[in-house]
Amino acid sequence: MAGLFGGSALANTKRAALNWVPFVAAIPLLWVIQHFFAEQPDWEYAFQNINHIGIAIILAVSLNLVNGLTGQFSIGHAGFMAVGGYVSAVLLMRGPTDDPYRLFFICSIAGGAGAAALAGWLVGKPSLRLRGDYLAIVTLGFGEIIRVVIENTRLFGGAIGLSPIPRYADFTWIWTAAIATILISKRLRDSTHGRAFLSVREDEVAAEAMGVDTTGYKVRAFVISAGLAGVAGALSGAFEGNLSPQSFTFVRSFEIVAMVVLGGMGSITGSTLAAAVLTLLPEYLRALANLRMVIYSVLLVVLMLVRPRGLFGTREVWDLLPWRKRARPLPRKVELSEALIDVRHATIRFGGLTAVSDFSLQVEPRELVALIGPNGAGKTTVFNLLTGVYPPTEGTILVAGRDTRGLAPHDIAHLGLARTFQNIRLFRELTAFDNVRLGCHHLTRESMGAAVRKGQLSEVEEKWVAQRAEELLGVMGLLHRRDDLAKNLPYGEQRRLEIARALATGPKALLLDEPAAGTNAKEKAELMQLIRSIRDRFGVAIVLIEHDMKLVMNVSERILVLDHGVTIAEGLPREIQTNARVIEAYLGEKYAREHATQIAAGQVKP
Amino acid sequence: MAEFFQHVIDGISVGAIYALIALGYTMVYGVLKLINFAHGDVFMVGAMMGWYMSARWTGEARNPNIGGALLVTLFSMLVCGCLGFVIERAAYRPLRNAPRLNSLITAIGVSFFLEYGGQYLFGPNPRVFGVLPRGTALHFGPVSLGYVDVVTIIVSVALMIVLQRIVFHTRMGTAMRAVSFNASVAALMGVNTDKVISFTFVLGSVLAAVAGILYASKYPSVQPLMGLMPGLKAFVAAVLGGIGNVPGAMLGGLVLGLAEQIVSGYLSSSWRDAVAFGILILVLLVRPTGLLGRGEAEKV
Repeated sequence: MAGLFGGSALANTKRAALNWVPFVAAIPLLWVIQHFFAEQPDWEYAFQNINHIGIAIILAVSLNLVNGLTGQFSIGHAGFMAVGGYVSAVLLMRGPTDDPYRLFFICSIAGGAGAAALAGWLVGKPSLRLRGDYLAIVTLGFGEIIRVVIENTRLFGGAIGLSPIPRYADFTWIWTAAIATILISKRLRDSTHGRAFLSVREDEVAAEAMGVDTTGYKVRAFVISAGLAGVAGALSGAFEGNLSPQSFTFVRSFEIVAMVVLGGMGSITGSTLAAAVLTLLPEYLRALANLRMVIYSVLLVVLMLVRPRGLFGTREVWDLLPWRKRARPLPRKVELSEALIDVRHATIRFGGLTAVSDFSLQVEPRELVALIGPNGAGKTTVFNLLTGVYPPTEGTILVAGRDTRGLAPHDIAHLGLARTFQNIRLFRELTAFDNVRLGCHHLTRESMGAAVRKGQLSEVEEKWVAQRAEELLGVMGLLHRRDDLAKNLPYGEQRRLEIARALATGPKALLLDEPAAGTNAKEKAELMQLIRSIRDRFGVAIVLIEHDMKLVMNVSERILVLDHGVTIAEGLPREIQTNARVIEAYLGEKYAREHATQIAAGQVKP
Repeated sequence: MAEFFQHVIDGISVGAIYALIALGYTMVYGVLKLINFAHGDVFMVGAMMGWYMSARWTGEARNPNIGGALLVTLFSMLVCGCLGFVIERAAYRPLRNAPRLNSLITAIGVSFFLEYGGQYLFGPNPRVFGVLPRGTALHFGPVSLGYVDVVTIIVSVALMIVLQRIVFHTRMGTAMRAVSFNASVAALMGVNTDKVISFTFVLGSVLAAVAGILYASKYPSVQPLMGLMPGLKAFVAAVLGGIGNVPGAMLGGLVLGLAEQIVSGYLSSSWRDAVAFGILILVLLVRPTGLLGRGEAEKV
C-alpha cells in the first residue's frame, strides 16, 4: 500500500501545512474584530452572546460526532465538559500568575482536553458495546457522578465552585477553537473514517461485514468528542472566570443534545446553526422574564414536531456549492485474488436447537458454489458462521488458511470474505456512492490525524477510493444512481448495490444471500448472468444461497443441499437433480416414495 | 444493629416510592421504547396538585386526616391521568414513527415545560406539604416507623398488586403486553394500539401522582424541580430491574432505595446520588439487560 501512495514525508508535511493556511490566517482577523469591536462597551453584551455561541458550537459539533455521525446516544456531554473545565481551571489557578504569551493557558487547555478524552475513553471503552438507550443511561449516570465527585472534592471548590479563574479566554480564543472544531469535524466526516462512523450509525452488522471495526470507531468518536468538550469546558471557565458544578447538570447535556437533534442528526452545519439559535433564544426571550423558559420549552417541542429531521436534515452547506464533484466513469482493473474457505465439521446450537450440524465446505479460488435447501434449512446461519456473526459451537472454520475462531466479523472481512444480506442491509441514509466507498474502508491506510491535516496520502487514497467505487457502480449498472440515497433505490437496484459494496472490500470470496429474492423470472436470469460475469471479471469465488433450484442449476459448478441443518447432498448440479433425498426434502417424503421409479430415471426434477 | 434496621426501613419506604415512579417509566418503555423523561415532572405535578388541593382549596393541610388525604390523592391522580393522556397525544403521538432520539428531545422539552411552567405558576421556592398526620406510628424497640412510612409501604404494596392484576389478568393488560412484544403484529391482531398506549400513559401518570403525594409527605415540601432527581433515580431503578419489565421496576426501586439509605447512613449523604448511578453502571456492564430483563439477539 505504501508504494502505491508514496510521496516523501516532507512533501506531505508541506501540503498538510498549506491546508491550514486559511485557518491560521483567520486568527489575526478574529483578533482584529475583537480589538475594534469586542472591547467597546456598547458591544459587550453582544460579544458575550457571541462567545457563548462559540462555546456552544464546540459542544454541539463535537457531540454531533457521536450522536449524529456515529449514531450513538450520549447524554452526558456536560460531564466531559466539566472534566475539561475543572482540570484546566485548577492548572491555571496554580500556574504562573504571569502568562504573557498564553503558553501556559494553551497547556492548560490541552490538559483539560486530555483529561476529558481520557474520561471519554474510560467511559466509552466498557460501555459502548451497549446499544442505544443503555449507552444513553450510562453516559447520563457518568455525567451525574462527575458532578457529585466535583461537589465533594475540595480541590475543585466543592459545591461553591472555583473562582477566580484567570479570564484569558476571549473572542479570539473561543472562535479559533470553534472554527477548528468545525474544520476537524468536517475533515473527519469527508474521510474514510467519517464513512466508517456513518456506517456504524446506519447498520452495525453490515459495517462489520464490510471490515469496519465498529467498537473501535465508536470509542474513537467518543474520545475525540469528549476531548473537544473538554476544550469547551476549559474555554468556558477561562471566559466566565468561575466554574460551579450546577452548570454541568444533565440539563446542560440535554441542551447540547437538543442542539444536535434540532440541527439535523449528523449535519455539521445544522449543529452549528442550532447551537447559535438555542443559545440566543433564551436571551431574546429575556424580556418575558419568568415566562421565557416556558416559551423556550414549548418552542423546542414545536420545532421537533414540525421539523422532525432537524433544521438541516443530514445536509451540509457545502453540499449546495456548485463545484461539488459529480459522477464521472473511469474504467480500471481490479486485482485478481486467490481464495479458500475451509469449513470442517462446524456445528452451531442455539439453546437446544441445532441450527447447523457437522457442516463441511471447501471453496476453491474462482469457484461458484451454490447452497440450497428449503426454508429454515440453516443456509443463512452458515453465512453467519463464515463471517463470524456467530462462533461455531464445534468445528473449525478457515478463511484463506487462517482459523477464524475469536476473530470479529471485521477481521474476517479483512481476510477476504464479503457478503450481502438476505434482508438488504444497506446504509440507508447514505448515497449509493458512499455505500460503495465505505466498502473500500479497510483498504485505506490514512490515519485520523492525516485526515484532519489533509495529508497527501489521504488525498491520493480518496481519489483512488472514488474511482474504485465509481467503477463498481458502473459494473453493476448503478452509475446513474450514484448520488441517490440507498433507501430510495428500487428493490432490485438495492440488491445490486449490496453486491457492489461487498465487491468494494476487495474480497477473495463473495457470499451472496438470496440475491434474486423478490425479483421476477427474467430479472433472475439476468442476475445469474451478472453473477457469473462478476466471478469472471473479478476472479472471486462465489458462494450463493438460493431457493430456486432451476436457477442455480445453470449458474453453479457445485451444489450443497442443506435440510434442517444437515448436509443431505453435495455434488454437480446434475447429480443433485436426481438425488432422492433432495427430492424428498423439497417435494415431501410421500411424493418421493410414490414416484421412486421416475426419480431414478431422472424424469422428476425438484 | 438498630441503626441498620432503621436504614433498611427508610430504604424500603423510599424504594417503594421509586418503584411506583419506575413503573411508569418501564410501562411506557415497554410499549413505546421511549424514555419518557417528562415522567418525573408528572410526579412533581402530582405533588403540587396535592398541595393546591390541601393547602389552598381545602383546609385539609391544617387538619391532616386519612379521609382528606384520600380525597386529595384522588384529585391528584385525576389531574395527572389527564396530563399523561394529553402529553402522549400532543407531544409523542405525532413522532411515533420518527427516530427515537426525536421523541426523546420532545420528552425533554415537555419536561422543561412542566418544570418552568411550575416555576412560573407556583414560584421557585419550596412550600410545606402535609396531607398526612405526622409522627411515629409503630415502635420495634429502638427502631421506629413513621406514620408516613407505614402509609407509603401499605399503599405501594397495594398499588403494585393492583397493577400486577391489571397487567396480567385483564384484557387491557394482555393488550399492553402484546403491544410491547410487537406493536405492529398486535395491531394486525385487532389490538387498538393507540388506545393501549394512551392507557399506559394514564396508568403510569396515576401511579406517579400517588408517588408524588407520598414523597412530598415524607420530605414535607413541594417545589417545581422536585421531580428531577427522584425521576432520574426511578428511571435508574427501572433500568436496574430490566426496563420494560414490571416486577423488575419494583425490585429495582427497592434495591436502589436500600442502597441509597445505607450509603447515606454509613458514608455521607452527599455521595448518595453518585452511588445510585454507580450501581447502575456496574449492573449495566455486568448484565446489560438489568436484573430481571431478558436480552434479545438481533436477527441477521
